Amino acid sequence: MNLQAILPPERTLFDVPGGSKKRVLEFFSTFIAQNTPSLDSQEVFSRLIGRERLGSTGIGSGVAIPHARDPHCKAPLAGFLKLADAVDFDAVDGEPVDLVFVLLVPEEADDTHLALLGQVAGMMNDAEVRHRLRQSESQRELHEILLEAIQRQNDESA
Amino acid sequence: MWHNPGLPRYVFAMDSINTLFLLSGSLIALSILASRLSSVVGLPLLLIFLGLGMLAGEEGVLGIQFDDYSLAFLIGHLALAMILLDGGLRTRLKTFRVGFKPALSLATLGVFVTSAVVGLFAMWIFELTLVQGLLVGAIVGSTDAAAVFSMLSGQGVNLNERVGATLEIESGTNDPMAIFLTLMLVELLVGEIGGIGETVLFFFSQFGFGTLIGLGAGWLIAKLLRTLDLAPGLYSLLALALGFCVFGLTSAIGGSGFLAIYLTGLMIGNQPGRHLNFILPVHDGLAWLSQIGLFLVLGLLVTPTEVLDYALPAGLVALVLIFVARPLAVLLAIRPFFRFRWREIGFISWVGLRGAVPIVLAIFPVIGGVENAALYFNVAFAVVLFSLLIQGGTLSMMARWTKVEVPVGVEPNRRGPLGVLPENDFEMFVYKVENESLDDVPIRLLRFPSGALISALFRQHVMLHPKGSTRLKLEDVVCVIGRPGDLPALNRLFDGGAKLKRERAFFGTFTLDGEALMSDVAAAYGLTLSPGEREMSLGAFVALRVGGHPVVGDDVGWHGFEWVVSEMEGNRVTKVGLRLYH
Repeated sequence: MNLQAILPPERTLFDVPGGSKKRVLEFFSTFIAQNTPSLDSQEVFSRLIGRERLGSTGIGSGVAIPHARDPHCKAPLAGFLKLADAVDFDAVDGEPVDLVFVLLVPEEADDTHLALLGQVAGMMNDAEVRHRLRQSESQRELHEILLEAIQRQNDESA
Repeated sequence: MWHNPGLPRYVFAMDSINTLFLLSGSLIALSILASRLSSVVGLPLLLIFLGLGMLAGEEGVLGIQFDDYSLAFLIGHLALAMILLDGGLRTRLKTFRVGFKPALSLATLGVFVTSAVVGLFAMWIFELTLVQGLLVGAIVGSTDAAAVFSMLSGQGVNLNERVGATLEIESGTNDPMAIFLTLMLVELLVGEIGGIGETVLFFFSQFGFGTLIGLGAGWLIAKLLRTLDLAPGLYSLLALALGFCVFGLTSAIGGSGFLAIYLTGLMIGNQPGRHLNFILPVHDGLAWLSQIGLFLVLGLLVTPTEVLDYALPAGLVALVLIFVARPLAVLLAIRPFFRFRWREIGFISWVGLRGAVPIVLAIFPVIGGVENAALYFNVAFAVVLFSLLIQGGTLSMMARWTKVEVPVGVEPNRRGPLGVLPENDFEMFVYKVENESLDDVPIRLLRFPSGALISALFRQHVMLHPKGSTRLKLEDVVCVIGRPGDLPALNRLFDGGAKLKRERAFFGTFTLDGEALMSDVAAAYGLTLSPGEREMSLGAFVALRVGGHPVVGDDVGWHGFEWVVSEMEGNRVTKVGLRLYH
């Protein structure tokens, strides 16, 4: 399963209002339920929040990777949010978060889940990628940078 | 006992006093300056001190004639006592959680096995009697962790707590054992001990009195130091003086003074209070002085060509010690009783570094008037040299190779107590802003621990009054007032990106709360649990899988993740990292 395939341009969101961790996850849940009819926004939200309760998915350097399994999810899907203002995400390094990569997977796709998480984490670990994402000024540019980063990541691991 | 032919004391006229000052001063100063070499070349420090002593000695450049074994014996005792006192002061009782039992096993059973194996080999190669051979074994039986730790920290290697604590406590507690064995064998050889009964009695009085007086007096001294109101410089002196009293008293009634003074140090060092801030730095210096002085004297004492005569067989003894006796001892003392990983056992086996103790012990036979005493001294000397060269030179490489390292994050550049409260005092921590993600961030947005505050901010040598709206800049120097408990959060905050990345590679991308219920974790990642496991907390589950006493850095592979213990409080796992396979 490749990240490129599950992150279409319309799920790359630019200048998303921040507010708080909860608000950001709420925003994404509502958005994804509209975008993908089979999903229920309440379900997505409670799954994501449930995962956050085990420990924040803020991995440091202003990046968070909220992820969850969802029974209504038919195939893995991803979304990217660049927040207008960084929010407190309770991240490991205590830094506020402005780059949010969300991953939802079907309940049965456990191995895929981990493989995808590994790819996202690897990609967001790159300071150069983070810097370019922060500098980007449009939804399109954001998506291009992400695709390029995913491609580079694939080339490296291949 | 102290009569000596070498240095007639009655001619200590001004000239010789001046020479003494000049020589000892320049030797010590040279040693300290040469210690910089250690970090550059990676040569063990002790080897440098020893080398300088030999250079100054009878066959070296200065050609100083020194063969006063009694004086060296006295200096050896003084130095060892101070080194052990400092070792005790520095050992945190909390490391006893994982290190005490394995260390005790190594210090008793381990020393026996090492001594026996080396002893039998020495008996064969030097054609000695059994008791004589065992004496060689006993002399080289104890390890020196001070040497290990000064090398490792000099090269930025931080051991995991299980390995670190075991090695540290082992080296503090195995000296008394080796000393006991040596004393006993010397007395057997000169015929002062007869029979098993007396030997057993000797053993129990050494360790019984040593433990009792050490702990008891240590506790009293710690209380006394804490309640006394003295000039700052006097605390360390009082601690030293009372430590010597404990040493002398214990030895006088037949206990092990070395064990007692180590335990006294342990009790003093673990009684929190402001006096410790005055004691520790001074004793650090004293321990260094002892190490330097001891090794210089030992280097002076030895006659290099005599050591050379024994070099080949003694080298073989050293190889047997390093490659057979120590690994076997570690295996027998640890494997059956404790849950250590194989690579940890491997590392502990390799780090059986021999330091000053064997050479000091080798003076015992000389003083005791044992036949063929030169053999013991020269063999011990050669074994220590080989050990320092072979094991000391490869320490950090070995630590990396056996993966017993745990990454260290940022720590304050400087810290110091404010001295306003007697207990749980506030401290000042000084950090430099090097973390790029803090650049241009207003102070109010920092995730600051609630009890701590930024009291001053220095930018280009100018002090600013920090307000919530003040934006940090790279290279700013920040003074934070807080408590030691705030350190983890502060260190995280000021940690640079590179270190964070390294930590993430080690502890995993995601960090879960140790309190999280296993059933919830299983639901998030689709893990299968047995019924009993559902009610457990993640921390307890991982601790169970790791087995024994978990330490930070332990990991278990399960369900496609590596679950890494990334934070502990006492015996509880509070944070668990999830390392993903890529």
